[in-house]
Amino acid sequence: PYVKLLLDAMKHSGCAVSKERHFSCEDCDGNVSGGFDASSSQIVLCQNNVRSQAHMDRVVTHELIHAFDHCRAHVHWFSNVRHLACSEIRAANLSGDCSLVNEIFRLHFGLKRHHQTCVRDRAILSILAVRNISKDIAEKAVDEVFESCFHDHEPFGRIPHNQTYARYAHRDFQNRDRYYSNI
Amino acid sequence: MADSGSWRPPRPCETYRAEWKLCRSAGHFLHHYYVHGKRPACEQWLRDLASCRDWEERRSAEAQQSLCESERARVQAARKHTLVWALRQSPPADWHLPLQEKDK
Repeated sequence: PYVKLLLDAMKHSGCAVSKERHFSCEDCDGNVSGGFDASSSQIVLCQNNVRSQAHMDRVVTHELIHAFDHCRAHVHWFSNVRHLACSEIRAANLSGDCSLVNEIFRLHFGLKRHHQTCVRDRAILSILAVRNISKDIAEKAVDEVFESCFHDHEPFGRIPHNQTYARYAHRDFQNRDRYYSNI
Repeated sequence: MADSGSWRPPRPCETYRAEWKLCRSAGHFLHHYYVHGKRPACEQWLRDLASCRDWEERRSAEAQQSLCESERARVQAARKHTLVWALRQSPPADWHLPLQEKDK
């Protein structure tokens, strides 16, 4: 339901996604799982580093969030590190990257507000993986935009903690015409 | 808000019930505490469910107003932070263009 909602939202925004055009499976360096290339409007899936179907689902969701941001906003991916930081915060927040279960698997134990710590830390790591900048600059950018971007839940309308939340979010998206015409 | 003749609740009543039940679940308490560090507030979903049923049974104007105010407050809360970027008026021009040779 995460991917279904993102695909519907992108189609609604004029960016219908084609498997053949917008996805590419490649071997990647290091332990990067995937990426979004704004210059070619393509999602790269690192076939040598994706470990399971669940991992693949999460990587696709994460990269589709970047693609969705590219589709609906003027994101200056290469010239504004705050824009990159914002999309990475949203992707870490909304893709399930920082679910309690995933953090426990990473041996990161924390409960109260730990989700926010995870989102911040993973956003910084993602920025450093794709930009040749210092950790200080990456941290500063993430901290500057965190409040705004952490609370931007489009197109989900909520943080989808698991498939139930994602299904409810998809239901709400499909109901949006009725919703906005009756409030 | 649409005029009373054509108005209906923004969500089906069953949706308000499902959201209230999800909000009150142990799983949601855990998720909410994990994100926000405090317990969730679920009372508004119950009030909205009651308003929705009230409207369905009696076409109550008070129920309609209550629902509209509640949902508008939710929309306002979701939009209170200024966006970091400018939204587009149309999708990127090159989204559907064929891949260039260098990108294949």
